[in-house]
Amino acid sequence: MATVDMERPAVDPLAAQSARFFSEGDGHAVLMLHGLSSSPLELRYLARYLQGEGFTVCAPVIEGYSAGLGELPMEQWVENAVREFDALAARYERVSICGLSIGGALALRLIRERPAAQSLVLLSLTLAYDGWAIPWYRFLLDWAYFTPLRHRYRYREAEPFGVRNEALRKKIARAMQRSDFSEVGPSTISLPALHQALRLSRAARKDVAAIENDTLVIHAIDDETSSPRNPRHVIDRIGSNFLRTLWLDDSYHMITSDNEREIVARETVLFLRESEAARGAHDSPGQPVVSKALARRLRQLAAVGRKNT
Amino acid sequence: MPGTTFCIAASLVEYFLGLGPAMTVMVLGLGIADYMFVPPYGYFTYIDARDVILVVSYPLVTVIVIILIERLRREQFRAQLIALVAQSRYEMLLRHDNERALARRAFDETHRLLRHLAQHHDGFILIKGLERNAAQRASAGQSTAQALPAAAEVAPGPLFDALHPEDVQRLTHALSPGHHRLRLRSEQHKREYRHTNCSCERFTTHAGDFLVLRTES
Repeated sequence: MATVDMERPAVDPLAAQSARFFSEGDGHAVLMLHGLSSSPLELRYLARYLQGEGFTVCAPVIEGYSAGLGELPMEQWVENAVREFDALAARYERVSICGLSIGGALALRLIRERPAAQSLVLLSLTLAYDGWAIPWYRFLLDWAYFTPLRHRYRYREAEPFGVRNEALRKKIARAMQRSDFSEVGPSTISLPALHQALRLSRAARKDVAAIENDTLVIHAIDDETSSPRNPRHVIDRIGSNFLRTLWLDDSYHMITSDNEREIVARETVLFLRESEAARGAHDSPGQPVVSKALARRLRQLAAVGRKNT
Repeated sequence: MPGTTFCIAASLVEYFLGLGPAMTVMVLGLGIADYMFVPPYGYFTYIDARDVILVVSYPLVTVIVIILIERLRREQFRAQLIALVAQSRYEMLLRHDNERALARRAFDETHRLLRHLAQHHDGFILIKGLERNAAQRASAGQSTAQALPAAAEVAPGPLFDALHPEDVQRLTHALSPGHHRLRLRSEQHKREYRHTNCSCERFTTHAGDFLVLRTES
């Protein structure tokens, strides 16, 4: 259950640790967008894995969106993300966009601005806070933005913190008590940030059909923050030819830190490399299909794809 | 009993549309049934035993049916999600399986290469390592008809020095698997070159692709 916190905590020194993550690799850069009012820390495992597989990884801190950097309207978030994308696109041949939670909504907006991106990875996409741990009266928080409470209340994260792994959950609970920040995000989110996130996800819902980039969607069926309806909205409408969907059942919202983070990382890498191969990149061919069962399955999927179009 | 029709309507709405609409239909149905189907018709205010029976039995039966259907619907939704998980896992399994098959193939090929090297160690002319990525592209089946890509490196075998210089030039630039007719210096007459049948085989090992050229004997 979520509760509302009256105090306004000071900016946490830990947030400074969770600075921008950048590591130079090959010509395929991955721009990783973290969740609302959080930091690149929550993408650390995935970023390191991608780095190990030779990708150029950039997990930027976005002004007005990341924790402890003030509050800006969501148009500014998108603008800042586009700037980060352009900086990567200028130096690297291919740039993919990977978004976690509200970062997924930001990625959807960003890819509409920059359709030349290589591929899109949506992890625990959040277009609405409608998971099972969200209380039914949560919509009041959206209204509270229009009252004087706007600058006083902060939405406080509560158990299970988006993590199914109980050992990790305890660790996070301790970290959140001690300070304002943990590896799966902030302990509180301000109302203006939530309001801007709501506006962003409304914008991201529009024109999903116009997206034609290769897309990977990974979502946990037990996600306590965003229900499986969120990725469904995208899966049913998106216009890409190469769409891969992975459903997890041993994780909650923070799939990059939870029990199945290895699967998430591995499948993301496989997908990005396959996407490269599908687009005819010269120096990195995909793996040939040797397994007959896989070939049969791919033919089945292709037949379904033809019927749908 | 006037409530039956509305009970059936509410159950159908629950099955197709869900809990909220079904509850709305039930409440509206209660009003309509009482107003229009319980005598005296057209009055809410006149209450007798028939009204009491309707107000007690109709909501009771309808709520029980709706809740049961709602539970089944939730279980059904859950089962669909689990089926999706199973499907994702199956696809992951197949991709893993593919990787294993590839590794196994490379492993077998390495063994074949080693046996080949041990068996024909006298007749070697050269071993050529192909650029790994280019070799994979060729083995993926798209470009088997095209010439193989440029060599990364060539390791000379025992007979390499006996090869005619023109053939050396030709082979280092373009070598393809199959039979070749090459000029080799004969052992008796050092200046003479003789046409010899040679064969070239390809090995896709885990360390990359190799072309092995040897004389046929």
